[in-house]
Amino acid sequence: MTRAPHRSVIRLGALMGVAGALGLTACTPESSAGAAGGSEEFADGTYSAEGSYSTPETVETILVTVTLADGLITDVDVEGSPQRPESEQFQGEFIGGIADEVVGRPIDDLVVSRVAGSSLTSGGFNQAIERIRVEASEAAG
Amino acid sequence: MSVWRFEAIGTSWEIETSAPLPAVARSAVEELLAAFDAAWSRFRDDSLVAALARGAGSVPAPRDAADLLETYAALSDATDGAVNPLVGASLERLGYDTAYSFAASVPVPAPADWRERVRLDDGHLTVAEPALIDVGAIGKGRLVDRVAALVATHVDGDLVVDASGDLAVRGRPVRVGLEHPFDPTRAIGVWTVADAALCASATNRRSWGDGLHHVLDARTGGPVRAVAATWAVAPTAMRADAIATALFFDGGARLAHEWGVQWVRMLTDGRVEWSPGCGAEVFGATASVEP
Repeated sequence: MTRAPHRSVIRLGALMGVAGALGLTACTPESSAGAAGGSEEFADGTYSAEGSYSTPETVETILVTVTLADGLITDVDVEGSPQRPESEQFQGEFIGGIADEVVGRPIDDLVVSRVAGSSLTSGGFNQAIERIRVEASEAAG
Repeated sequence: MSVWRFEAIGTSWEIETSAPLPAVARSAVEELLAAFDAAWSRFRDDSLVAALARGAGSVPAPRDAADLLETYAALSDATDGAVNPLVGASLERLGYDTAYSFAASVPVPAPADWRERVRLDDGHLTVAEPALIDVGAIGKGRLVDRVAALVATHVDGDLVVDASGDLAVRGRPVRVGLEHPFDPTRAIGVWTVADAALCASATNRRSWGDGLHHVLDARTGGPVRAVAATWAVAPTAMRADAIATALFFDGGARLAHEWGVQWVRMLTDGRVEWSPGCGAEVFGATASVEP
């Protein structure tokens, strides 16, 4: 049985929609740096910032790293540092299966009548992106 | 179908019935919710638990006291004390107090001997010394059960009671999307719920007041961090809610096994686990490995 390391990178796809809403643009062909952010300019480079979000038990910290090229986001990594919740001896007996890094599907594409859950990280991701936006903007100025 | 939407105990409710709920039924639901809130809300100065926290000593036991305390005892045993109804003081210490001060200070553990301190005798709920009882781990589930039972006495047919993440279904099955905890536009799976309850925990608005209710590890008073979201399906919402909380801790999966409750949980690193024989469809599960 192999286990992923505790620090792992959350898949980009699930989070890019949030970036697009923030004034930084995702690396989709139809996006451009000025589309949502006005005339603001960003200096190319790789930026990291921490953000935090609340889970039911705690305030988690995530490290968001964004690479900008020609004012566009070309890469995003989100790192957390989760701990294992369950003692190893319990896992075989009471856990039926595990899937790595489930990205999910757009809810709009599903035929469901209800949704259960609540988003957690978007606030922390937004914080980190905002810090990066300011930093990249200042670097350009 | 007829849908009645309203706000209560700090969260949004939807009650879906095959025929419109008569006014008398709505009034009865509102009274039930108000009575529960008046008994158990730790965000109200005039609630029974607030009175006990101020040193009232003993109060007439609210209707749900026996079932809630019994379920907390099972949760506490299963999680080796991580779930504890006296965690309220620990929550306040971390800044989740009635004023939402967010002025976090050093975490304090909840009293491990809570069963000695909280007693139910002769129709009275008694705390040995002033202590804040918090039923947040299962209170909303319990309320969903009672509202569903009450509504069913007024209208026949299909019924859904949905209290923002905790829901009970009677009659026609309901397909529920499991919201991705990192992206509210996506779902990590779909669960079809039939004559059962599904409770989700993940939310930073999971309880009443303004809903800033956080599950802490009562043994330390501090947070644990590994699980981002949980979902559980059980015959009652109270048990589904209990398992949805227990799954944040060691021992939760074992209790789910003992109770025959199915579940899915997403870890903070993006991985998803589920119970043996789980009826949920988890997207990407084809890439899974059986541990």
